[in-house]
Amino acid sequence: VSSTTPEELVDRRRVAVCVGSGGVGKTTLAAALALSAARRGRRAVVVTIDPARRLADALGVGELGNEPREIPRAQLRALEVPEQGQLSAMMLDMKRTFDELVERFAPDAVSRERILTNPIYRHVSDALAGSAEYSAMEKVFEISERREFDLVVLDTPPSQHALDFLEAPERLLEFLDSTLVRMLVHPAFAAGRFGFRLFQRSTQRVLRLLERVSGMAFLEDISEFLLAFEGMAEGFRDRARRVRGLLLGPECGFVLATGPTPESVAHAQAFLDRLEASRVRLAGVVANRLRAWPGGGRPPARVPDGVSEAEALAALESALARDGGEGFPAGDAARAALAAVSSYASMARRDAEALAPLAERARRAGCFWRCVPELPRDVHDLEGLAWMAEHVFRPGEGP
Amino acid sequence: LSTASAHSPKASPAPLLARRLVIVSGKGGTGKTTVAAALGLAAAEAGRRVLVAEVGRDEHVPRLFGRDGPELAPGLHSLRIDPYDALAEYLALQVGMRPLVERALRNRGFRQLMDASPGWRELITLGKIWHLEQQDAFDLIVVDAPATGHGLTFLDVPRVVVSTLRAGPLRRHAEWVADLVRDAERTVLLPVTLAEELPVRETLQLVERVREQVGVAVDRVVVNAFATDPCPPGVPDLDARLARLAPVPGLPGPDVASACVRHLRSRHELNRRYLDELARRSELPAVVLPFVAEGVRGPEALRGLATPLLAEPT
Repeated sequence: VSSTTPEELVDRRRVAVCVGSGGVGKTTLAAALALSAARRGRRAVVVTIDPARRLADALGVGELGNEPREIPRAQLRALEVPEQGQLSAMMLDMKRTFDELVERFAPDAVSRERILTNPIYRHVSDALAGSAEYSAMEKVFEISERREFDLVVLDTPPSQHALDFLEAPERLLEFLDSTLVRMLVHPAFAAGRFGFRLFQRSTQRVLRLLERVSGMAFLEDISEFLLAFEGMAEGFRDRARRVRGLLLGPECGFVLATGPTPESVAHAQAFLDRLEASRVRLAGVVANRLRAWPGGGRPPARVPDGVSEAEALAALESALARDGGEGFPAGDAARAALAAVSSYASMARRDAEALAPLAERARRAGCFWRCVPELPRDVHDLEGLAWMAEHVFRPGEGP
Repeated sequence: LSTASAHSPKASPAPLLARRLVIVSGKGGTGKTTVAAALGLAAAEAGRRVLVAEVGRDEHVPRLFGRDGPELAPGLHSLRIDPYDALAEYLALQVGMRPLVERALRNRGFRQLMDASPGWRELITLGKIWHLEQQDAFDLIVVDAPATGHGLTFLDVPRVVVSTLRAGPLRRHAEWVADLVRDAERTVLLPVTLAEELPVRETLQLVERVREQVGVAVDRVVVNAFATDPCPPGVPDLDARLARLAPVPGLPGPDVASACVRHLRSRHELNRRYLDELARRSELPAVVLPFVAEGVRGPEALRGLATPLLAEPT
């Protein structure tokens, strides 16, 4: 298997999807990948979900727009983006994306109103099993279909369940296709079939029971919603199939973002298990916020090394006292310095140890592996993104 | 409830251990499960009978203790609440016919319908917690609630149900649950955050919406993994001083030592800035838990968080 590279991802694919658990820098990574593509002469757009305020401001997507906005040329020039390169950004409004879909597929104004005002639909952003995730996928598909951009980079929602967004179109289809839904919409459909009749009787009894307990017109609302939805089901179904086709196809690459701690690595490993089972194409793994050992190389196994702590402290204290002169609290300074070096070394060791098996797994899977060191500040401007992009395109850091 | 807590002064927030229900919420990656586990352990070691309830798909708390069993330490139990199990239990309690209920709940079509239906998971989970609270088997229930966004829905569902339904057993039960959630004597929401931009922003939104909309008591915020200042008082330029020294045997070179201190110092300054912003804008006292370089795993490490966690917030 030949290895995928970040270059190949941003130069050749049409869609890049950044995945990973919350708080690992997915949004920043997505924006950095889009910027890299622009610097390499492509027209790129990053679709974000919930960027940090200052990053959103830097990208010019301070408020919800649901349409891409271009980063001004002057700013791009300063970041060495060539004339043919282009960078846009948008913040996804999930509810609106879903409404837009209903508007697109509703056969007429009456059904459209019926759906948009149905109580079940009004909960739809929570209700339709991961519709937030579905919306994100839908928007990416729509933008990539327009062909205004060479590359769409998606920052996925911080979902509680790792791959909901991937399964979202499938789940929507399954839901629409399910026997129960069909029976609710067309009770006659099941009437002739003995097995279904049995199932129907017990299920309906439970549904009636739920209604009795809840005091809600549960069945009525749902069947009304489904009836209204029926006219558009074909459109949705076809759409969901094509979204899935794009996500699993050769033009799409997934990048997994992870933090350096054992907890985030455990999450990343679980993510990889599910990605592998789902047939998506994993392009690379990026470990963010690595506590790298200053000057490169491995952190020492212990601090101090080869001498006792008392000896190291004494030597450090006298050196600091010589440097600091009369009255300088050299003892405190020496203890603080030793504690800081020892604690940073322990973090660096812990990160390196936690990441090593993940690095190995990424290499075996034929995808790229990159580490981005932790910055002493937040990445919240275009310069910060450029800095991050350089690390993503530079192999050999970290384990 | 102990008599001591009933007579404690009202000026500063009531001790966490005086409540019946502490709902721990926060953005993913802020360590809210760790905080829930540490609080549970601290309460158990203070002599309370404690349950740590998880509501996610996976069970994390027992692993933090290196255990699988439900009893994690003397007096400390954990439980993952599965909404489908809780629903089966509830329906069976309401109407009997458990076999029928279970059969329907296993049915694929029914599952899909339930998967697509909003709100019931939150309600049934809180209902289960209410039920546990009523039983009096525990003095304190610590809930490791869903991440911030979901967490709000989680707490708000009983109110929504009560306002939607006109009558019926469910409305009555939702009222009981809503009463528990909004009872400041019994229940408190404990937001957990990191002193960084995104988590602080989410926490401020959470606090605002909880105050305006949900009506759950919030009296402090936990700021987790706070990087302490590596420089001792009066030596803010420790990194520059280290860089000037000749190599010291047994220690990394002057540049490396200096870079370590500089890095920790800038993390500290970043954390400090966001801690100040959080305190200013939320007008809540903060419980600050120090960053632990080795990570928090096992009862020993969790115990290390107990003192700052139970201390009066500042």
